[in-house]
Amino acid sequence: MSLADPHAIAALGASSPAISSSARATPWSGGARSRRAGLLALSWVAPVVVLLVWETLCRSGYVAPQILPAPSKVLSTAWKLASTGSLLNDLGVSLLRAATGFAIGGLIGFSLGVLVGFFRLAEAAVDRSVQMIRAVPFLAALPLTIIWFGVGEGQKIFLVSLGVAFPIYVNTVLGIRQVDPKLLELARVQGLSGWTTIRRIVLPGALPSILTGVRYALAVAWLALVVAETVGAQAGLGFLAMDAREFLRTDVIVLTIVIYALIGAGSDSIARLLERRLLRWHPNFGGGGR
Amino acid sequence: MSLSVVPANPAVLVRRLIRRYGERTVIDGLDLTIARGEFVALLGESGCGKTTLLRALSGLDPIDGGSVEAPRRPAVVFQEHRLLPWESLWRNVSLGLAADGARERAAAALSEVGLGDRLDDWPRNLSGGQAQRVALARALVQEPELLLLDEPFAALDALTRLRMHALVKELIARHRPGVLLVTHDVDEAVALADRVLLMRDGAIAYERRLAGGAAPQAVRDELLAELGVAATPRAPAFPTPSSHSVV
Repeated sequence: MSLADPHAIAALGASSPAISSSARATPWSGGARSRRAGLLALSWVAPVVVLLVWETLCRSGYVAPQILPAPSKVLSTAWKLASTGSLLNDLGVSLLRAATGFAIGGLIGFSLGVLVGFFRLAEAAVDRSVQMIRAVPFLAALPLTIIWFGVGEGQKIFLVSLGVAFPIYVNTVLGIRQVDPKLLELARVQGLSGWTTIRRIVLPGALPSILTGVRYALAVAWLALVVAETVGAQAGLGFLAMDAREFLRTDVIVLTIVIYALIGAGSDSIARLLERRLLRWHPNFGGGGR
Repeated sequence: MSLSVVPANPAVLVRRLIRRYGERTVIDGLDLTIARGEFVALLGESGCGKTTLLRALSGLDPIDGGSVEAPRRPAVVFQEHRLLPWESLWRNVSLGLAADGARERAAAALSEVGLGDRLDDWPRNLSGGQAQRVALARALVQEPELLLLDEPFAALDALTRLRMHALVKELIARHRPGVLLVTHDVDEAVALADRVLLMRDGAIAYERRLAGGAAPQAVRDELLAELGVAATPRAPAFPTPSSHSVV
């Protein structure tokens, strides 16, 4: 999962007009803008070519449909499954699992993070254990979770929660610790109560870091869900894929992969939307200004 | 015990103050009195303990000896504006006010510093001088008996600093808090204060009253001499060059 990519691309896109304008006599002319549009179009050429080649290879029979179905076949399968309602049902089941797991894991990670961030006692009591558990790749716990919970909803939600809790915990602690001590001094000078200091200074100051944790946790939640659903489920996208495997329905399998990818991209946009809304005061996120 | 005359019911009364950082005694038996409504400027070379004294008065730091009597909650303006970047200007100014009527009081304070039309703006849209004006509004909205200014204009350009001097003079005249201004700018001290103190070796080494007393020019030359800088004639022409500072 390449989380940093959109940033890198955005940075490239932002810098390119500056480069071209410095080389021209008239900066910000229509030329710079059309060049930017040209680069944007160019960036779409490779994916489109890949799709076309893929389609051609499949249609001409070089690639058997059992190995890899044509993109058009995947699309028509999507339409068929969607019109019977089964796709939406499986999608809903998966989304609900992810949301529940994210809510539970996020709440646990955030609460522990706040405690450890504020109280040295909590840090001494909790932090080492959390860091030790964090060192274990949480997916390695999969067989254990199956013994504990079977292959029901509990097991999937547990695995998602486990994966989500750590990034939220780590970034919450980090964010609280990084709050500017000068602002904490200001809080004392202004005579703020402990609770007001937390509400108006510490938590807003920690928010950029916490949201970084949220973004990372969203990606982890999907990863955990894919693994848990693939091992065993009676419904959901993973079930759809494994069921299709029994019948060599590669078109359905590819479809679920594409849907997972779309949801991953969607959750990343949600995280970015959150950042833009909640951090609109922040020079790096708010944009605009004067 | 003290040699100077102590006014009745002063805003600040410091006796034999001691403050140590480890082995080093930064403030060593310092006496200081500030009358109500009096504007006192404190000069001294960097590291002489000016800011340490201010922090002791503000209650931010503990003291190691002597006594400090000061209002329970003096207002402080720091060298940096220390505005919360995630709160609008009026919310920043209202920090520490009771919620009731906070917006109105903050709006009035922001109008006083000439930013009454920027209530809902973000701190990141302010210039350095504007940000420091908001910090000033945040301090004065508390109606403090004592205002502590810790080199609040040091980071501003010369012109902005002169404008801030005028604004501060006007606001202080209206609100009449006792003021302690820590600075290393002799011209600033002379321009603003009723009384100028010079700190050396952890104690007050020199004191001059300006209000109604000595000519500012003479006091300025005296202070520069005390600080070990040869006094130069002050250029009267506009713009004023960056004032003499001792760094």
